[in-house]
Amino acid sequence: MFRRLMALLFASLFVVPVILAQASSTPWDETHSFSWEYDFETGYISTSPLFTGEQLLVRTSGHAEPSVTAFDLSGTKIWGHTNPASTNNDMSPLLHVEAGQGECGSWPEMVLVGWTNGLVEALNPSDGELLWSTQSEVAGWGVTGQFALDEEFVMIPTRKGIGQYCLADGQQQWWTETGLGWRNGVAVDETGYFIGDEAGQLWHINRTGNATSYALQLGKIRHAPLFTDAGILIHAQSDTSSTIGIFNPTDATLTQQIPAGPSPATPVQQDEYIVTGDSSNMRILHCTNACVVLDEIPFHTNGEIGWFDNGQIFAPSNLPDSNWGFFTFDGQDNLTYSPIEVGLHGYGTAAPIQFSDGVATFTAFGNDQGILRVYSDLEESGTVPATNFDWGEQMLIFGMFVLLGSSSALLLSGKREWFLRTSSLFVLVIVVLILPDLSSQWSKVFDEQFPEQASPEEWNEQWPDAWLGTQIVIFEMDGEEHSFGGFVGHTDVLSLTQVACKELDFEFSGESTELGWYVESINGIEGKGWEFSVDGAKGIISVDQSAAYSTSIVRWTPV
Amino acid sequence: MFQAMGVHGPTLSPLTSVLLDVVLLGCAFWLLAKPTKRPIFDSLFMVTLVLSVSFIRVVMQPFPNVQPVTVAALLVGAQLGARRGAAFAVLVAMISNFFMGDGWWTVFQAAGWASIAIAGSRLSLVTSTGLNLGRACMASIIAAFWFDFIVSFSILDGTIGFTEFIVYLGHGLPFDFLHMIGNLTFVLWMGSWFTQLLEEDPSLEEIEFTVVNGHGIDG
Repeated sequence: MFRRLMALLFASLFVVPVILAQASSTPWDETHSFSWEYDFETGYISTSPLFTGEQLLVRTSGHAEPSVTAFDLSGTKIWGHTNPASTNNDMSPLLHVEAGQGECGSWPEMVLVGWTNGLVEALNPSDGELLWSTQSEVAGWGVTGQFALDEEFVMIPTRKGIGQYCLADGQQQWWTETGLGWRNGVAVDETGYFIGDEAGQLWHINRTGNATSYALQLGKIRHAPLFTDAGILIHAQSDTSSTIGIFNPTDATLTQQIPAGPSPATPVQQDEYIVTGDSSNMRILHCTNACVVLDEIPFHTNGEIGWFDNGQIFAPSNLPDSNWGFFTFDGQDNLTYSPIEVGLHGYGTAAPIQFSDGVATFTAFGNDQGILRVYSDLEESGTVPATNFDWGEQMLIFGMFVLLGSSSALLLSGKREWFLRTSSLFVLVIVVLILPDLSSQWSKVFDEQFPEQASPEEWNEQWPDAWLGTQIVIFEMDGEEHSFGGFVGHTDVLSLTQVACKELDFEFSGESTELGWYVESINGIEGKGWEFSVDGAKGIISVDQSAAYSTSIVRWTPV
Repeated sequence: MFQAMGVHGPTLSPLTSVLLDVVLLGCAFWLLAKPTKRPIFDSLFMVTLVLSVSFIRVVMQPFPNVQPVTVAALLVGAQLGARRGAAFAVLVAMISNFFMGDGWWTVFQAAGWASIAIAGSRLSLVTSTGLNLGRACMASIIAAFWFDFIVSFSILDGTIGFTEFIVYLGHGLPFDFLHMIGNLTFVLWMGSWFTQLLEEDPSLEEIEFTVVNGHGIDG
């Protein structure tokens, strides 16, 4: 009897692939097909593309020439506008402005672009013509946050403050100093403007430019504050975690603090619902008198989140081999998640955009590989790229089925020794296949439970002040230290090291193994391998799995 | 407990590496330096065994911590005795690491496998009816953890404290588990065959002695 039960248990494993096969097909996958793609070859797409009604605009930055590129709906490039002086990485979202007029003049339809060298430009979306430009201050970098419109003005979060500029000609009306900012967008309400800074202060600026600050002490504020009935929602970032805070501006008090995971994404809002994300979870909150977390789903996202009118929520998973997450909210308490396959894998922080040409609805995805992919909800439009048939994978699956079937049959026939042989081989293959993920998750949980005590790296007085509070990488080579800093937003050591190597013009080579990324050489130096430490703690898992925090100092040493 | 990414232990100078290799090789020959009745046959057999298992280890390199050598050391110790088992372990560690990467860790790998071979010689894994499969399975599971534990000491270079070492061991537990499953699979599939392969055929002198002795007793 026991044997039969065990055999049934083994045989039931046959059903697992069937269940998984059904689960991998999401409602989105079933109703969308590939339309076209454009490969920028170098550079990152770090912010959501913008649809202006006729053109799709994409901003790219990184090591390549930072630019804004326009496409028509069939994927043909119409124009490109480059700012070679940008200091990278450009993360200020593009802003579309309809034509209008106000007290300071009239303006045509335009797209506003903020650059890390402090430049702000207004471009004609149909041909990329420069309408006006204005220069803001630079301290390490310039403009990185989200603009906001306020009647005939655009509110621009500059590096050290906030400025009000006329849409007609870009003339600065006033500028007020706040704190050093990074990706700190502006929010507008009837009392004026709200903006956060790297010191964790929330600033209120009235329409004449008078500023008041509130030291929330929750962490860095790297998004535009959100107005809810419960108060102003902030998802603040600290070194190893984050906090969702609700601030009541009337009596200047923090009414709620909700602990969350590291490296928060930019929260998004639809009416009284808010979606937040971080390196641990996606979550939905309902904010009326107070904000209540309705649901949480484990997911790793650190950039923008796309939440569209049809209720679909998309978030890029910011991991080395990851894809996008597709979420739906049932309007009650449940957020559901399914991964979607859009053919783009790797780091990503840009939300997709959905737009319609009146016939079909398109969704455009871009990630750090600089590839733009557009999908359509009409199945006949476009040709889906041929899927590669992996014979090795198919043979492995077939072999696993043979082992599973043999184990069941051998158990039933009482051949204990052969049953142990086939089942042990089956388990071995399974463990080999899941080991990379298993080890990664295990290490993550282990680190959380037993945080390592290490002597942190000390600040070097020769480093520029602009590197304060940012991510820094040090390479030890031939008795010398080569450092570069000022990086922000990198969540793992691999991506941080890659960008530092680019800045220092070091060749960086390695390979992806089953255990993670293995660094082979840096600047041509191989040695017997490279070791790294994060904030003084020796790296004991692979670079792509080692977390980098907002102020981490990574040190590389050849063995 | 053993993880190949990131931590390498102390770095050795070329001279230290050579000295280390000489010491290891010396240990292996000392262990093998025992008069045998068939020196050429025994030497050829040991060379073939060491090269084959080293080759298998190199070939299986892509599978992290699947270590056929652990089971081989256990069974060689059980069948050929502690001295030859330990010598086999040292030689396999040296030769395979020549292709996979030599260093400070070779000493610990050699020590780990040699201790397993010695344990194998003491555990009565082989009986008159062949390999005791249950006992061999248990021994292979314990050997996986023991070997990984011994090799983990190779990261101690004076900069790692006790707590960090414990954290390091904790991080490696999934790899220990894989080593354990791998050992179990090897024992179940190859254990009996490998034990028979290692079984020593009696020499002509031994057969003659046994026969004569038997007749003498009969008479």
